[in-house]
Amino acid sequence: MNCEWTRENIVLYVYGELADDAVHSLEQHAQHCDACRQELESALEFKNGMADALPVVEISPNLLAASRMKLQESLDHAAQARGLGRLAFDLAGWMHQLKLAPALTVALLMIGFAGGSLTTWRIASRTQPQMADSAAKFDADIVGIDSIEPSNTNRLAIGYKTQQRQTFEGPADDPAAQQLLLLGSSSSNPDVQMKAIELLGKKAQDLDVREALINSLRFDNIPVVRLECLRALRGYVKEVRVRDAVVEALVHDSNPGVRGEAIRLLDQVQSDTSVREVLLVLARKDKDPYIRAEAKRVLANSPTMY
Amino acid sequence: MPAETLAFRAAVGGSGERVNSQRSGARVSQAPGRVNDSELIRAAQRGDRAAFESLVRQYDHAVLRLAYHLTGSEADAQDIFQEAFLKAFRHIGNFRFECSFYTWIYRIVTNLCLDHLRKRQTRREDPHVLTDSSGQQVDLLERVSDDRSGASPEKDLMRRELNARIAKALTRLTPRERMVFELKHYQGLRLRTIGEMLSTTEETAKNTLFRATQKLRIALAPLRPEREKLS
Repeated sequence: MNCEWTRENIVLYVYGELADDAVHSLEQHAQHCDACRQELESALEFKNGMADALPVVEISPNLLAASRMKLQESLDHAAQARGLGRLAFDLAGWMHQLKLAPALTVALLMIGFAGGSLTTWRIASRTQPQMADSAAKFDADIVGIDSIEPSNTNRLAIGYKTQQRQTFEGPADDPAAQQLLLLGSSSSNPDVQMKAIELLGKKAQDLDVREALINSLRFDNIPVVRLECLRALRGYVKEVRVRDAVVEALVHDSNPGVRGEAIRLLDQVQSDTSVREVLLVLARKDKDPYIRAEAKRVLANSPTMY
Repeated sequence: MPAETLAFRAAVGGSGERVNSQRSGARVSQAPGRVNDSELIRAAQRGDRAAFESLVRQYDHAVLRLAYHLTGSEADAQDIFQEAFLKAFRHIGNFRFECSFYTWIYRIVTNLCLDHLRKRQTRREDPHVLTDSSGQQVDLLERVSDDRSGASPEKDLMRRELNARIAKALTRLTPRERMVFELKHYQGLRLRTIGEMLSTTEETAKNTLFRATQKLRIALAPLRPEREKLS
């Protein structure tokens, strides 16, 4: 091995990229060659000096949590756009098919015409609107929820306004009741809103319900509503979206009670890296002594990972 | 191993130094994620959103840290983070298992960072001044603490001066040299992997690293006496 080869490979040696036999040769050469040894020392000093002088700055847990949430929203939009894109593509495909198959075109037109006529006849034959037993009934015209009255027999009476006040009465597990409760969860009447959240909490296994609870937890102005949302979401903290919302409440909520409940919920996911990072920061820096103490307690209970 | 070789290693910094032992701790933990990646990728390709999010969770911390260190801005790092994973989401169907998901996502991120560095090179921004999420500028060098005993205001000032010059020297590298140096020196990746990420060969990555370190050493050579004073 000569000096030229050694100098060309010193960087690879320093960064651990040299094969074992080449490492041995380089070390042997540097041992007997002053110039190459100095070069090697200088390269090692450079590498260590760079790592000391300008280390990688660790990102804050808040930045990571915020980036994750923003990404979730972007993914939601992207997923929707993808769905619409597929539909547009399919329509184009159908049009292409229709161009190539005139008989099929005629058949489809006839089916469409017959279907349209049948629907018109059925609508016209209704003598009076009846209380529908499906959620589709409530798709339009509801302007607000007035009251919610649960009864002991697993039934509900929900007053709602369309152009005029109406009442739904039926089983609590009716999809229509759930739809009205979802509307009630964002009602401007606090009493209605609280009852809706309490009742929805019993149906938190439903994805739409959890989404409504997460939204209220994030954006509702009334602390007791946010607190109720947290309680309702208790069994689902291991789910990514729920956990992110709970972490967000812990970090950003203005109400100490909500923050206290949030940190208790995180007991279930204490070993998650991002949760631990948030807890470490809170244990050190949070202004609220209770939150600092709770963060330390949860961290102490979690298994050591490092 | 011969005794004299061991003695020599001790003299030049210890045998452990050879294997990327920088204190950054910024390396991506690749091994645990790999095992389940294939299953998750296949599920994500079938449209399983939860599977895609699990993939994201394995790499998002490392991706954000890389983008932050390279751009020096929380807002820019977030933008790159978003764009990288959105691209991955849109094109996951094109993933052909010819490389690991980790290499694939890093390829997307490094390309975005390279674009960012190229744009910034034309604007010539100060690289060690970071912009946090509230839009406030923070000097990166202010954050480098000096906890050693005997640190004095004079030494602290010299250290800041030294760090500023290192940061300036880094901006003199081409975006590609900066990227290879970042991935090797700070992220601790193998040159073969870096070559794959940058769609080039291991040999080219080696040459780029060689050029980057030579440039930096030349730029920082006049500072050697200052470093000795500080040590």
